[in-house]
Amino acid sequence: MIVPARVAALVGKELAELARNRSALLPVLAVAFISMILPFFVGLAVPQITGEHLSSDADLVQALAKAGGELPRAMALPDEAAVQAFVFHRFLTLLLLVPVTGAITFAGHSLVGEKLGRSLEPLLASPLTTMELLIGKVIGALIPSLVVMGLTFGVYLLGIGMLAEPGVLGAMVDPRTLLLVCGLGPLASLVALQVGVLVSARVNDPRTAQQFGALLILPLTGLFMAQIAGAFVLTTEMILLLFLALLAIWVLLLALGVRLFDRETILTRWQ
Amino acid sequence: MIAASHLTRSFGSRVAVEDATFEVRGGEIFGLLGPNGAGKTTTLRMLAGLIAPTSGEATVAGVRLARETIDAVRSRIGFLTEAPGLWDRLTVRQNLLVYARLHQLPDPAGVVRKSLERFGLSDRAGSLGAELSKGLKQRVALARALLHDPPVVLLDEPTSGLDPQSARLVRDLILDLRARGHAVVLSTHNLYEAERVADRVGVLRGRFIAIASPADLRHRLFGTRAIVRVAGDAGAYAGVVTDAGGTSVTADGESLRFALDDPRQVTPLVVAALVQAGAQVLEVTTEDAPLEEVYFTLIGPGETDEGDPR
Repeated sequence: MIVPARVAALVGKELAELARNRSALLPVLAVAFISMILPFFVGLAVPQITGEHLSSDADLVQALAKAGGELPRAMALPDEAAVQAFVFHRFLTLLLLVPVTGAITFAGHSLVGEKLGRSLEPLLASPLTTMELLIGKVIGALIPSLVVMGLTFGVYLLGIGMLAEPGVLGAMVDPRTLLLVCGLGPLASLVALQVGVLVSARVNDPRTAQQFGALLILPLTGLFMAQIAGAFVLTTEMILLLFLALLAIWVLLLALGVRLFDRETILTRWQ
Repeated sequence: MIAASHLTRSFGSRVAVEDATFEVRGGEIFGLLGPNGAGKTTTLRMLAGLIAPTSGEATVAGVRLARETIDAVRSRIGFLTEAPGLWDRLTVRQNLLVYARLHQLPDPAGVVRKSLERFGLSDRAGSLGAELSKGLKQRVALARALLHDPPVVLLDEPTSGLDPQSARLVRDLILDLRARGHAVVLSTHNLYEAERVADRVGVLRGRFIAIASPADLRHRLFGTRAIVRVAGDAGAYAGVVTDAGGTSVTADGESLRFALDDPRQVTPLVVAALVQAGAQVLEVTTEDAPLEEVYFTLIGPGETDEGDPR
């Protein structure tokens, strides 16, 4: 049985610790900054510097035409605005790296950190169950990751509204974007977290846990690159499919985490 | 309050604790003595439900230790681990508050406030864990272990590494637990501490070598020793003491030292015999072997056993 009050106590502790360790946020803030700046550089600064409009790039126009069905609002815009909307849409995948990076950073430290600080044994001697411990650790790391992602997305949209062609912002806000950012983002983060926490329970070094969690960056980066190269279009159906796949993976990882979390080994092999 | 029966725990081929059988009553402090690797921490962890015994069984605060009862056991014990294990980035109050919530205590803030007062920590409530001295950390850890007022308290090396003042404070708090009726199991290397606070001690080296009160152990191993100081050369009266029932008699200047099986009966006989023999008795005292001597007699000198899973 999971007692929400105990999970909440652990989540509160995780957030309170993070509030006093703001430097832990630096990696995720750095990724957020780069993920946010890059599309503006490509979509707005490069055309300004080169003096060539995005709409004069045949490859981009062709890619837009291919993805047009997924971006009906963009297709209704003038050429330059439509291509800008296409570029900003494609870079949304990059924003998924923000919560995933946060997850990797925080989860890697979660249980290893408790071990290193020797605070794990008193915690294990408390009424907290293994499931509550793992869920509390994951939620405690998920919340700051999602807050940073939400803020990044907000600033991203604000920047588009202020700097991009008129109508681009309107073309950005659609169910597909929301599903990508509010559905796939948190779930990808959750999976990375679960991997990090799971590995963190089995290893002696936070870096090992982080390296395992970082494996999730590879498929995300691949997804981003494939989209940018126009290899395929991430349709709403595909996002939904990915969402369900990640959900299943997360449930499996959670179950595996509880199974593999061996209190005795943690206590007796860790001095 | 605690009843352990034939508790055994192996790690691979190594037996850490073997056939441990003992009981601890409410209002009693039971000291676990033994060298490193003797199985003290493993015994405590088994009682705390942190590791399962390979065989044997135990009942803690009326609950039989089993996988399905582990949650109930954990809510009935307070476990002070060897390292205080505070969260360095949280304040003392926050550290305690998290545990008060984990134990689902009603009015966690009120419980924490009372605990801070009881342990003299109110003025440090806002200090971060990292800012505390080792002694203060240990006090906070003890406060944390007792937040939910558990009937059974397990203390693993509670004064290890503390300065004498802090150690004394922690010892006083442990004695207070006895006065409040808690059953306390105290693992310690500190023989002076065991002698001061423990009602009974168990000398452990994988298995229990002896379980008794420090006084009983002493008596069992060495009997009681008496010192009689007489005017003049004490050596002249050694035979008198032997004839009156003293054993292992030694004389040194004015002092006669000897062992007694039954001090209440034999001491007056010895003194009377000495007076009758013309000795001028100046002083009669008893001498107890220190627990350290008892310990080394049981364990053997220089026994350590490092590098095991404990």
